[in-house]
Amino acid sequence: MTTSSEEILLQVPHVRYKKGDGTLYLMDQRIAWMMENRDTVSISHLYSDIKTQKISPEGKAKVQLQVVLHSGVSSTFHFINRGGIQEQSADRDRVKELLQTLLPKFKRKVDKELEEKNRLLSTNPTLLQLYKDLVMTEVVTSEEFWTHHAVQYTQAQKTQQQAIGVSGAFLADIKPQTDGCNGLKYNITADIIECIFKTYPAVQKKYIEHVPAKLSEAQFWTKFFQSHYFHRDRKYVESKDLFTECGKMDDQEMKKDIQTGVKDPLVDITTFVDKSLDECYGMEVEKTPGSSGTVSQAMIKRFNQHSIMVLKASKNKHPEPESSDSSPSNVKGVEVSSNSISNGISSADDAHVNKKIRIQEKITYEDLDSSNDTSNASKSILNLSKVERYLHGPMPGSNAEYLSVNDASSINRNILNECKQWQGGRQQTSNLVSPAAAVGALGELSPGGALMRGFQEQSLAQLVPSDIEKEVRNLYLSLSELLNHFWKCFPPTTSTLEQKAVKMHEALHRFHGTKVKPFEDKLIRELSPLSYHLTKHLNQLLNVAYQKFNNWQKMKTLHR
Amino acid sequence: MKMNTLESEDSKSSDFSSTDEISLLVIILDTNPGQRILRDNPRTLTQCVDSVIAFANSHLMQKSQNKLVVMACHSKTSEFIYPNSDKPLDVRQVDGQYEIFTLVERTIKRNLAKMIAAESTALCNESLLAGAISMALCYIHRIQKTKPVGCKLNSRILVVTGSGDSAFQYMSYMNVFFTAQKQNVVIDVCALDQHLSLLQQGCDITSGLYLKIPQLQGLLQYLLWVFLPEPPIRPKLVLPPPVKVDYRAACFCHREMVDVGYVCSVCLSIFCKFSPICTTCHTVFKIPGPLAVKSKKKKMKL
Repeated sequence: MTTSSEEILLQVPHVRYKKGDGTLYLMDQRIAWMMENRDTVSISHLYSDIKTQKISPEGKAKVQLQVVLHSGVSSTFHFINRGGIQEQSADRDRVKELLQTLLPKFKRKVDKELEEKNRLLSTNPTLLQLYKDLVMTEVVTSEEFWTHHAVQYTQAQKTQQQAIGVSGAFLADIKPQTDGCNGLKYNITADIIECIFKTYPAVQKKYIEHVPAKLSEAQFWTKFFQSHYFHRDRKYVESKDLFTECGKMDDQEMKKDIQTGVKDPLVDITTFVDKSLDECYGMEVEKTPGSSGTVSQAMIKRFNQHSIMVLKASKNKHPEPESSDSSPSNVKGVEVSSNSISNGISSADDAHVNKKIRIQEKITYEDLDSSNDTSNASKSILNLSKVERYLHGPMPGSNAEYLSVNDASSINRNILNECKQWQGGRQQTSNLVSPAAAVGALGELSPGGALMRGFQEQSLAQLVPSDIEKEVRNLYLSLSELLNHFWKCFPPTTSTLEQKAVKMHEALHRFHGTKVKPFEDKLIRELSPLSYHLTKHLNQLLNVAYQKFNNWQKMKTLHR
Repeated sequence: MKMNTLESEDSKSSDFSSTDEISLLVIILDTNPGQRILRDNPRTLTQCVDSVIAFANSHLMQKSQNKLVVMACHSKTSEFIYPNSDKPLDVRQVDGQYEIFTLVERTIKRNLAKMIAAESTALCNESLLAGAISMALCYIHRIQKTKPVGCKLNSRILVVTGSGDSAFQYMSYMNVFFTAQKQNVVIDVCALDQHLSLLQQGCDITSGLYLKIPQLQGLLQYLLWVFLPEPPIRPKLVLPPPVKVDYRAACFCHREMVDVGYVCSVCLSIFCKFSPICTTCHTVFKIPGPLAVKSKKKKMKL
């Protein structure tokens, strides 16, 4: 199995696999294990097949490493270096680290395109059906399918996806698990870490400073969750902490934000003053400016900080600042007002102009604005002649005929005589409708009768079983896709279009042969009465396309 | 004026208060002596009138609260012939027949005879159906307004006619149809002689039924089978399917139906051929140059 060209990157002896001792090799393409005193490799996994590697936790009796493959199969290697646990874990770590560097390289090699196509097909049932009907029956080649027929799906993939924001409750969502002995265990994922960094940039700074050098990742996060910083709204008083600085950094950041203020001229944050009703009645409360006073105040401060972070996140996306909807610093009273006022004075003129523009924007409507004066000037009066033409119906002329006086009087006389008979009481009512006429009328009005034409087709929908209906639908789906491309080729102005037209024409023929014909045969076998009706329109569509193509070919030969 | 007398009569006889759903049927019977079927055989009138009376009685029989109005339509006038405009006829029970049925028959026949006797000698085979329908709509509207709160009135109009529909009444027809649609009044048409494309449009607009009967002898059978069921019940029955109605417009220049035409973008006049100046509003259009060239080329090829 081992090819000569393979380079052995790492060789670790004393590795047990399934009760056999041997040596583990890390090659440049794969991981392999060989039994002692044998020269064949019994275990061999390509790196590209490996999904993840797992290691046994610290302090366990056995030092093990497991590789899990994409197929779900896993192999566990037990390190049994006689030098004791230290040596064993050293061996293991060497393997682990090398694998760590190697695996990502091979991950990219996995056919990304194929995976993508697979995913597209599985998420779009319509596309899958199309694929089944067109590619599997070899009406269209696979490449053609992906380049022509699935463009809209692949295109849709390319549109940039919106970055997911930070969930408000992401910290609360980390459910700590009790580990039995008076401790808590937090499971945090990469996503959560991302969120934490987004909300607490100070923590990110600390992380960068500390993690590789001074602390392990786990230690860092343990510290974080224990720290005063994380729990600060609960007013812990702790002496020395890794994150005390963070608090200060946050404060500074917030101060900066408050100083820059909100630029919207229509929003005056300075009027929000943090006063309670009591103060207006002279009940002055001592204030501790700047610092966190009460627990609730600290809490509010944190909320404000969070809002600022949220706003900033959206600002990164849109370069122009749009912050009219939220006023993040409406809690901090005195300090804010003084800062903002000085800010306001310096750019008073500017703000004034801005304000005017904003108000203008809000109160004017372009489409309503100019119409008043201009329409009067340019209004032309509609000058219509022969208005009566609007009033005439579609029926041409009059088919009314006027009878001559003689005819009219004779008809009138006849009718009057008829009327006079009515007065004489009831007569001949028994033969108002003759039985034959009634039966005839009923026959005409029953399904299939002369007056019920078109009724049959209506009930066709009820006669077709659902599976046939589905099949017809699929046929239409595929055929309309092909026809769509066929008709797009006309008029064939370029040679590529001509080629495509020929190709699509062939594809239509293939589709006709492999899909429509067998379906028709099946219909004749299974439900003969409607076999023709169901595929009539499909055939019509096909024939129109064929005719177009033939005409075009004829024209081409005539031209030459 | 006529309306007023009708109202007084109606308010006397109506006892809407006890009902919750009333079905009002207005039958417009075209009795114009000028129409072909009556000219050829005057006895047809008796047959039609008797059939319509039987049909009207069936309607009244379906539910005691059902209301009936019958109108006669001629080339110059349309009149309500049932209920009676003045005091109702004095009717006694005959042959054990329900008195109302006798009343319906007597009233219709008497009023119709009176109306035909008053017919002028200048005959025309064109009946004022649009006018009759609008009168019926007015009547329905009045009933609709005076009906007690809480009761529901389903009204429909049945036109039974043997004369043709002509373009003279086109506008009136369209106004009437759309009014009926707006008022939720269904218009049914039973054509005795000719195919009536305008009235067919009316049926389509108001979702009524249009039927051109193939033979006059079975008129009552057709009426009872097709037009007696109330519109809400009709979808559950196997009735003649609606025919595709031709809604094509006629061009202003030749009065011909056009599938694809030119419409003036200013005044919406329809033309079958392109003309650089709209003959209705005199707007001047640019001549689409390349189009003309293309058509020439095609001719040369062929």
